Amino acid sequence: MFTVASEPLDGHVPEGPLPEKWDSYRDHLQLVSPNNKRKFEIIVVGTGLAGASAAASLAELGFNVKSFCIQDSPRRAHSIAAQGGINAAKNYPNDGDSVWRLFYDTIKGGDFRAREANVYRLAQISPKIIDHCVAQGIPFAREYGGLLANRSFGGALVSRTFYARGQTGQQLLLGAYGALLRQADRGQVRIYPRHEMLDLIVIDGRARGIVVRNLVTGAFSVHLAHAVLICTGGYGNVFYLSTNAKGCNVTATWRCHRRGAYFANPCFTQIHPTCIPRSGDYQSKLTLMSESLRNDGRVWVPKKPHDPRPPNEIPDEERDYFLERRYPAYGNMVPRDVASRAVKERCDAGYGVGPTGMAVYLDFRDAIRRDGIEVIRSKYGNLFDMYQKITGDDPYQVPMMIYPAVHYTMGGLWVDYALQSNLPGLFVLGEANFSDHGANRLGASALMQGLADGYFIAPYTVGDYLARSKPEAVDASHPAAQEALKEAQERIRRIQGVNGKRSADSIHRELGMLLWDKCGMSRSAKGLQEALEGVRALREEFWRNVRVVGLGEQLNQNLEHAGRVADFLEFAELMVLDALHRNESCGGHFREEYQTPDGEALRDDENFCYVAAWEFTGVGEPPVLHKEPLKFEAVPLQTRSYK
Amino acid sequence: MSDQRMRITLKIWRQAGPQARGEFRTYRLDDVNPHMSFLEMLDVLNERLIAQGEDPVAFDHDCREGICGMCSLMINGQAHGPLKETTTCQLHMRHFRDGDTIVVEPWRARAFPIVKDLVVDRSAFDRIMAAGGYVSVNTGNAPEANTIPVPKDTAEKALDAAQCIGCGACVAACKNASAMLFVSAKVSHLKLMPQGHPERQRRVLRMVAQMDAEGFGGCTNTSECEAACPMGISVENIARLNREYLRAELCRES
Amino acid sequence: MSRLTSPTSSTVGQKILVACTGLLLCGFLVVHLAGNLLLFVGPEAYNAYAHKLHSYEPLVKVAEVVLFLLFASHIVLAVRLSIRNRRARGSAYAMSVSKRDDRILGVRLDYWMLPTGLVVLAFLLLHLVDFTWELRPDVTYAELEPYEKALALLTSWPTIVGYSVGTIILGAHLLHGAPSLLQTLGINHPRYNKCIKLLGGLFAVVIALGFFSLVLWANWFEHGGGHG
Repeated sequence: MFTVASEPLDGHVPEGPLPEKWDSYRDHLQLVSPNNKRKFEIIVVGTGLAGASAAASLAELGFNVKSFCIQDSPRRAHSIAAQGGINAAKNYPNDGDSVWRLFYDTIKGGDFRAREANVYRLAQISPKIIDHCVAQGIPFAREYGGLLANRSFGGALVSRTFYARGQTGQQLLLGAYGALLRQADRGQVRIYPRHEMLDLIVIDGRARGIVVRNLVTGAFSVHLAHAVLICTGGYGNVFYLSTNAKGCNVTATWRCHRRGAYFANPCFTQIHPTCIPRSGDYQSKLTLMSESLRNDGRVWVPKKPHDPRPPNEIPDEERDYFLERRYPAYGNMVPRDVASRAVKERCDAGYGVGPTGMAVYLDFRDAIRRDGIEVIRSKYGNLFDMYQKITGDDPYQVPMMIYPAVHYTMGGLWVDYALQSNLPGLFVLGEANFSDHGANRLGASALMQGLADGYFIAPYTVGDYLARSKPEAVDASHPAAQEALKEAQERIRRIQGVNGKRSADSIHRELGMLLWDKCGMSRSAKGLQEALEGVRALREEFWRNVRVVGLGEQLNQNLEHAGRVADFLEFAELMVLDALHRNESCGGHFREEYQTPDGEALRDDENFCYVAAWEFTGVGEPPVLHKEPLKFEAVPLQTRSYK
Repeated sequence: MSDQRMRITLKIWRQAGPQARGEFRTYRLDDVNPHMSFLEMLDVLNERLIAQGEDPVAFDHDCREGICGMCSLMINGQAHGPLKETTTCQLHMRHFRDGDTIVVEPWRARAFPIVKDLVVDRSAFDRIMAAGGYVSVNTGNAPEANTIPVPKDTAEKALDAAQCIGCGACVAACKNASAMLFVSAKVSHLKLMPQGHPERQRRVLRMVAQMDAEGFGGCTNTSECEAACPMGISVENIARLNREYLRAELCRES
Repeated sequence: MSRLTSPTSSTVGQKILVACTGLLLCGFLVVHLAGNLLLFVGPEAYNAYAHKLHSYEPLVKVAEVVLFLLFASHIVLAVRLSIRNRRARGSAYAMSVSKRDDRILGVRLDYWMLPTGLVVLAFLLLHLVDFTWELRPDVTYAELEPYEKALALLTSWPTIVGYSVGTIILGAHLLHGAPSLLQTLGINHPRYNKCIKLLGGLFAVVIALGFFSLVLWANWFEHGGGHG
């Protein structure tokens, strides 16, 4: 199914003690002289936290930047939807936080599948992110004394999360977006909204540009540069239903992968337990409800399968508070992955509730009795309102219904310490890369990583690359550029030419169901084998039977989606294969064959303590597995336990 | 929860391109689930159109949880439909009645030209923001975050303004297609935060000039914007912009 | 001069000028109404006031010029803005429904500022024809003292109709205009907004009723009562 490369992959981690690596890296990097910076063009794809911050920071340094996004404005990138907050090792609450502790929590939270040096650097940079964002005028929550407020988040014993109500991602993104527009105003950045990257141009082994399609006119164009930064987020939408925005897709990263960039750990996907469940077949996306609800809500299902009674008519003795029953110590506050799997188990066994049977109750009745309705309202009022808006049910009166959903992907394009992929000149930032979260991401760490990559890492490492490599001038007539352009055009034409019977959406939905079923919260070798065949069959179905209506020379959302589904169908195979090859359970990757007697994830550090970086060899062809061994020198490997 | 199905008649604005002539076309859906969101109902319609080989209805959407600001739609003459403080993506069909006819139009404003069907070009907002919707601070030279205390209430008020999602409902709902609520939200946010003070004069003058250059109308204080705003942003911000503008005009030296 | 006209280069600046001129015109309305209410006191008081007012002609001329400039700039700027605002929409909606829930009976007075303003302008012109330019053919101005002149005009049909409509529409114009100009001048505070709105409305009603009361008084109490 795949071959293994003989040479281990090198992450280019600098020498020296862990706390000094980043400083020593910066001390030794090469600089581009101020006058020469304007001679370099840099392409940044994606305008989320990572993309906007990188584009702005590089432009501030004097590089010429082109910024691309598929949305109608850079401000709409999906980072905007992040709710909870952003971690930083500021130790403002005086509760014992430190760079080391943030680093340790993140490594442990990631179940020892992240690169130590990257994570340590992330923790080191985190306080500077807060400084910068405050200087941008971001209205973080404050104490009455006027200083910044913190709250606690999952997976940590300290309060290190900075927040702006439930809109932290929005506020941080608007800060980065402002910085980006400021550079656009100066003429240092050119912004291309409603442009989709459809291919990477590789010349002499280096990333030198991209092919884009203008989504309004359908026109293709070639953009060349000295470096390309991919900041296009995660691939959670491969499952069709996720908490991601509808437009989130794998196309940009997958196209890079097809051009030679390694894709790392694609099977590491995170599933969040508290989301509003599907209400029908038409469901287009899922909405996250903050994890904090489990502090006061009790999770249960009826003891009788398919019990038709309304929840409030089911007496206590006929309710199964299954988390409390199975995990008496942690009860409803077990970690995300454990909770998600337990919910799935009950629903699969026929105890699920709601119209689809794919939900469990999250009940606040006892909390309201204990604390009074006003206390609950002050804690969760906005969440309850949101729930009511979507479902029409009043959670003060009837229990909420929840079900787990995909919401983040830890895997992504492989990058070294400099955030550079194995293709020189191709840098990957934010959720699009694999680097910092291992097999499981802690809450409030995604915003931190995106901004660390964009504001404080890429501006150094990209400059260093440009100073060292001195790429030669190329123009759009270069055969490699023309070939990429032609391929992208040809592909769109092919999709339009199938002219079958099924919409791309229906195929995407089927793919999502298949993956959710076989490569979702828990996976087995048998199921993954079936998924592998299923994905291939579905891919064939797509190319035989997809139907795209409308012209290619104008705005055609139907065509855009079809192109993305085609890439998901190729990517899905790699994700399943990765899950199948990783014969262990760790973090978000749970293999039924590898669990402890009490149902916990059983890691295999002997055989799988590595990053699985896959090399593309052709669609349906066996890929090459490159292993980057993970060394844990600062934090010794240990069993992750929250008991 | 009822599983009752609804029959809905949709009158949707169809326009093939920016220069093309548009018209309303009528579609009937007989099987609408009341728990669908408005956009999911359009998804169902589009699936049907694709099956029939017709061009599906183009509409902007992305996060579908009310924060990205991408969705729009004038629904029965109201921006984002009949509910207060709710974006179209969070509007559900249970708020309509079986047998209803629903008129769906794009945002209409000279500054928001139609791209196709219900999709409009809101890049004017980006250009206004580029004229000053930020604090000019380069990465790397920020002081320690707690250097300047900001009163809690001030930060909250700033966030009330800063939570604008840039959807353009204010423009759509205003009889003058004025962008004052949008511009004032950003001016207010950065006026309230001390970090925004050094540039406040330049910011308000430049942003207002850009707003005018884009062809938006002026404010006549009808407060329709506030009522239509899915984030509930107050016209108090417009008064604050007016103060900022007056102050900047009176104090500027050139 | 560029310094003075520069605010008019933006819609916000123009609107602020409309508000400023509107505010000053409101002041004029108050003074004018106060003087006119002397009609209630009697012929001596009113005539003395009128003669005193016109005793120094240059001052009257200056006041008239200032008033003319106020009216003219208020009107010109407002009309210019209205034209721009109308253009800003582009093509019209097929359907447009307010989302405000505080509209009384669904009335959108704020949508009618230009029409009501134009009616007020017509009212103003009629008023000037009546009193200032003394052009009414049905009235013999020469022999009349100010009080008699006022009474004669206020009891003539064109004036009764014109002034009744004019004052009511003036009220409608002020009902939105008075609180609106405060908002435009940046006066808005959550603690005082209700009060501002109330006082603005009260001001509009008092001014409208005040002027309208003169018509009523002239016809039903003074003149009408005398003949009836």
